[in-house]
Amino acid sequence: MSGSFYVNPEQLVNDKAQFAQKGIARGKSIVGAIYDKGVLLVGENTSASLNKISEIYDRIAFAGVGKYNEFDRLREGGVRWADNTGYVYSREDVDARALANFYAQHIGDVFSGDFKPLEVEILVAQLGNGVRPTKIYRIAYEGTISDEPHFAVVGGEADEVKRRFAQGDGAIVDLTKTLKNAVVALAGPDRTLAAEDLEVGILEDKGSRRTFERLSDNHVRELLA
Amino acid sequence: MIADRQATAQFVASRDIRKIEAADKYTAMAISGSAARGIQFIRIAQLSFEHYEKMTSSILSLEGKANYLSPIVQENNLSSPLAVVPMLAGYDINHNVGRIFEYDFAGGCYERSDFNVIGSGTQFAEGALRLGFKPDMELESALELAALALYEAGDNDPSTGGPDFVRNIFPIMVTLTKDGFQELDSETVGERFRRINDRRAQSRGIAGGELR
Repeated sequence: MSGSFYVNPEQLVNDKAQFAQKGIARGKSIVGAIYDKGVLLVGENTSASLNKISEIYDRIAFAGVGKYNEFDRLREGGVRWADNTGYVYSREDVDARALANFYAQHIGDVFSGDFKPLEVEILVAQLGNGVRPTKIYRIAYEGTISDEPHFAVVGGEADEVKRRFAQGDGAIVDLTKTLKNAVVALAGPDRTLAAEDLEVGILEDKGSRRTFERLSDNHVRELLA
Repeated sequence: MIADRQATAQFVASRDIRKIEAADKYTAMAISGSAARGIQFIRIAQLSFEHYEKMTSSILSLEGKANYLSPIVQENNLSSPLAVVPMLAGYDINHNVGRIFEYDFAGGCYERSDFNVIGSGTQFAEGALRLGFKPDMELESALELAALALYEAGDNDPSTGGPDFVRNIFPIMVTLTKDGFQELDSETVGERFRRINDRRAQSRGIAGGELR
């Protein structure tokens, strides 16, 4: 006779969490940090076409670590949600907090309801204006959402990278300094990372409506020099 | 591209409507016909081109953008009395050339190698363009010819607005180059129309000859 056996929910949640953590731990970390004029997202990525960091909307960016197909599906969902909200209402109604909640609910539902949890962690960054604040939200594999004050790290070595990045004095500095700190934190004591190993995206006001910009290897090299 | 600012019902419904907008960085869209539907078309185009770009991390080709509008025009015009005939023009960054796409009432999309006119004043503007158009014109001569063509349409067609020197409302002029969509500032456009107007006053409204 087949049937489902009783499984202690605590056991189930622990198993799922362990499974998701293992998947995420295989991936490289991404740092999101606020600098004096905007928000920086930087991660290790040797592929120039399979992006981990991308544009969601005029003032919102996305970064994902873990399984590529899973976080890319989330990115697409975010772009769809943002474009639809902006079209139906107004561009200024597209808010990162609402998007982060949308993600948290979806990821949380999958974690508790589906056979397999999503092996991803994501960052949603927003460049503030008169109406909204500059923010970085971090959403974990089980749907926990946290509102990070100045910087956030997702990925395999998140805790160590976070500790290394936090060793600076925590003040908000310019893009060059923030990028250098983030790259040092990502690399750790025994490695150095070159521009080609990095994927860098920023949100910064430069006069146009869309504030997301993907920095080229050359640009990153100049900033790191 | 150039467009007047008047929306006409049985009367002047608006004197400062915008009939040209950037659809994305390298593309402009102009509308004629129903203002309500036309503005909706522009919003749909802006939404869709940007959505495609973000979803695929690549920019839609200019031809792709032109073709995209065809079924939207067709569906609207063949199912509703609120017809719209748009025009799409842009700088094709894949082939480094400016291109213009014309639409007919049924949504047919045709590339033009010279110029395109839409709206109620078409016959007058087209007349001026046919006489003045030369291939490979410099930007300045193209701007002047376009302004003259619009002036003609405004002068002869009651539903086309001309330059409004009383309220300082002037046609919208935009260029599409490798630097993307750029709108000329209203003051410069105003000065151009003032010069045309002065010349017309000197010739007592006659357009021909040196004074055009």
